[in-house]
Order: sequence, then C-alpha cells, then structure tokens
Amino acid sequence: MILRFAAVALAALALAGPAAAACAQPRTSLTYLEGQIMCPTCHTTLDQSDSAVALRIEAQIRKRIAECWTADQIEAELVGNFGAGVLAAPTHKGFDLLAWWLPLGGIMLAAVLLALGVWRWSRRHDDGAPPADPGLDPDTERRLDELLARLD
Amino acid sequence: MRTLKLTGQVVALAAVAGMLALLVWKLTHQSHAPKIGGPAPVFTAKRMDGAGTVDLASLRGKPVVINFWASWCEPCKSEAAALEQAWQQYRRQGVVFLGIDYHDVTGDARTFLSHHGVTYTTLLDGSGAIGDRYGLTGVPETFFVNRQGRVVGAHILGPITLAKWAGAFKQGVQAALHS
Repeated sequence: MILRFAAVALAALALAGPAAAACAQPRTSLTYLEGQIMCPTCHTTLDQSDSAVALRIEAQIRKRIAECWTADQIEAELVGNFGAGVLAAPTHKGFDLLAWWLPLGGIMLAAVLLALGVWRWSRRHDDGAPPADPGLDPDTERRLDELLARLD
Repeated sequence: MRTLKLTGQVVALAAVAGMLALLVWKLTHQSHAPKIGGPAPVFTAKRMDGAGTVDLASLRGKPVVINFWASWCEPCKSEAAALEQAWQQYRRQGVVFLGIDYHDVTGDARTFLSHHGVTYTTLLDGSGAIGDRYGLTGVPETFFVNRQGRVVGAHILGPITLAKWAGAFKQGVQAALHS
C-alpha cells in the first residue's frame, strides 16, 4: 500500500514538476489576457464572448501560457495572426499614441476653457456692480425739504 | 470675452462637423457583398503555406472560386471534402480555387487543412479585411469570379453540401467558366 502510494506520488511529481519549473518568469493569466484581447467576429473582449473563434483564441492563449509565453509574446502572436484590431487597447507607440493623448488633451483644454470662462465671467460681474449712491440732486433735495416742512 | 466666446463656438462647430463627417464616412463605407455582374473586389493575401502572396488581379483570365472558411466553423468542416473534390474535378478546366481563412488561428487552420486533405491554394485573412470587402455575413461563403474579373453565378451563403446550394455551386462554376 505504501509502495503504491509512493509510486503514484512520484508519477505525479514527474508529470507536474517540469511544467511548474519550466517558466523562468511568472506566468501570465488567461483572465488578464481575456480582458486585453478582442473577439474578431463579435467585437467584444474574449471574456464577454462565447463565440467559436473566441473559444479557439482562448485555447491558443491557454496553450501559450502553458508554454511559458509572456503576455507581450502572446499578444504579439495574436496581432500577427489577426491584426492590430485584436487588441482591446491601442498600443503606446506611433500613431496609436494619439488615442491615449487626444482624450487627455481634450479634457485639459476643456478645463482651461472652463477656468478662463469662469474668470472672465467673475470679472465682468465685478465691473457691473452698482455705483455708490450719488445722493439726491439739489433741486429734489430742496423740494423734499419744503414738503417735510409743510408736514411739520 | 467676445473672442473667447467665438473661439468656443468655432471649436464646438468643428467638433460637431467632425462627428458628422465620421458618421457619413461610416455609413458610406459599410461593407456589402459585391453585386453579381460587378467587379470582384481585388486583394493580395499571404499564402497559408508561406510561399509568398496571391493577388486576385493576377488571376485575370482564369475562372476563380473563392471560398471563405475558418477552422472554428462547423459547416466548413462539412463542405471541405466536397470543395476538394470539386477542385480536383474542375482544375483540369483551368478553374482556380482560393480558400480564404477568415479570422482564424493559423495553427488551427493548418491542422484543419491537413485533416481534411485540402490541396488548393489557401490564403490568410486573419484580420478579416478581405472578408469585409466581400461583405461577409459569416462563414462559409462562396463567390465565383469569371475570366474578366467579374462576380458571376450565385453568392453562396452556407456550405455547398446543403441541398439548396449544391446546384448553385455547379452553376456558379459554369458561369465562371463560360461567361
């Protein structure tokens, strides 16, 4: 019985050992890549698709992960296979950089325009404050005095 | 203040015009299947076996059967043998068969070809660009192109082994050969 258990344990170690020890770097995960890769026919990320092609791509990713490929290597292979459109997010180089910087630039420009607008509006508000009370003109003051005197 | 307001209005107008232009571009560039009798959309694609590329325009003067398929497509499996058989039958008459592997994992596609014994030329369309030009709605789909580079016969939307398409396939090849 003990011998049989030892043989099973040794066999398990022999099978699991090479696979676990083979990777020089931490393995990437299918869950991570499922959110980074698009299903080419349904135009959603793999984690939101059950289409046949999405399942095949997932199988390919699983295979590459088992072979210790890094996420970058797997993505590069898929881009070579399906084109850049397979990536859920644009790359950080070349023309694709625009996709990252344009929205940021737009937000910053909007903030600057808003701040400028508020500043100009508050300044106009200050300029438009009612002037100090100039008092009554002499004629009106005289007539008012006469009126008050009559009342006395 | 007036300058700022004017600038804001110009920017807003430009943004709206840009969005409108994008919408118009999208609407006018939607892919449709080529009209029967119209020119077949040309393309250049890599061969699956790695031996260079194939340009459809270079096949002018030959009848061409274009079949879009993928290894993950179940109906494609059912028609693979029939297509190979048709290729063996018509190749002597000069008909060129092009299998176009659409949105597929190349390794899987190679296994598929070997498993089904496909020997005609297969081209890669991983990005789906060629399929888009042909307005694909799915795979398999088959088109026929005559010697003048025009789409002829029927546009087959499904496996050629289906009873409703079997006749259309033969007629399509004949139209490509003789029109």
